[in-house]
Amino acid sequence: MRRDVFQAIADPTRREIINLLAHKSMNLNAVSDNFDVSRPAISKHIKILTECGLVSIHQQGRERFCTVRLQKLGEVSQWLEQYRSFWNERLDDLESYLGVLQTRKRKTTARKKRKS
Amino acid sequence: MKEVNKFKISRLIQAPQALVFDAFTTAEHLARWWGPKGFEIKVVELDLRPGGIFHYRMLGHDGIWWGRFTFIEIAAPNKLVWLNAFADEAGNVVPAPFGSWPLQIRNTVTFERDGKNTLITITAEPIEATDTERDTFEKGFSSMNQGYSGTLDTLEIYLKRLTAGQR
Repeated sequence: MRRDVFQAIADPTRREIINLLAHKSMNLNAVSDNFDVSRPAISKHIKILTECGLVSIHQQGRERFCTVRLQKLGEVSQWLEQYRSFWNERLDDLESYLGVLQTRKRKTTARKKRKS
Repeated sequence: MKEVNKFKISRLIQAPQALVFDAFTTAEHLARWWGPKGFEIKVVELDLRPGGIFHYRMLGHDGIWWGRFTFIEIAAPNKLVWLNAFADEAGNVVPAPFGSWPLQIRNTVTFERDGKNTLITITAEPIEATDTERDTFEKGFSSMNQGYSGTLDTLEIYLKRLTAGQR
């Protein structure tokens, strides 16, 4: 299964978990307490987040703490920026293409009118 | 943080709604404006119905890429939803040929009439399609009924354009 930062954030519960951990590191139980879904379900999400490189887990005494690796989120903002410039360029091209298309159509229509 | 994957962009285009919708859904138009800067687009297949795909080749300086849309919702001339991805020559979804990019992006475009102009609003988000979701999608969307309504909508637009051209 593919594991990347985009998959990590594709799920709303995982986005919530990242949001929670962005404020402070927590152990698994503390994370689960914030959700209505079962602890195994939260565990599974955290496992995916670690596989995607967004969360790291470290043992502290008896507890396992989850910490979010915020620098990884930079890939998301980078994508957003690139995607925005992609769409801006596409919309520029669309605008000029439709502009030319309509001018041409108007000219053809005018010529037809003159002929008739 | 909740907003991390939210993407939204709007543009007021000086063209009627039906024409703008057409530009997003017909091969002859898409070939003229879709695809990254400096790439020439060749349409391999365009099957405009929910679950149908638009498969295209992008020819650039550095080589050839393929891309595909999987149409999800076609509500002519108001709304269009599709999944966008890079593809291989056979039309299978593949990861982007560069850097860090989502495997699939869901694009939702609304077309709102504003006098003679059209306001386009695009929202996008990376999506994760599990096997279950894909099954649900295929069962839910590829029904004949939906397929036909998409086709009829397009036909309607096409006819409108023909009529407009004759006027």
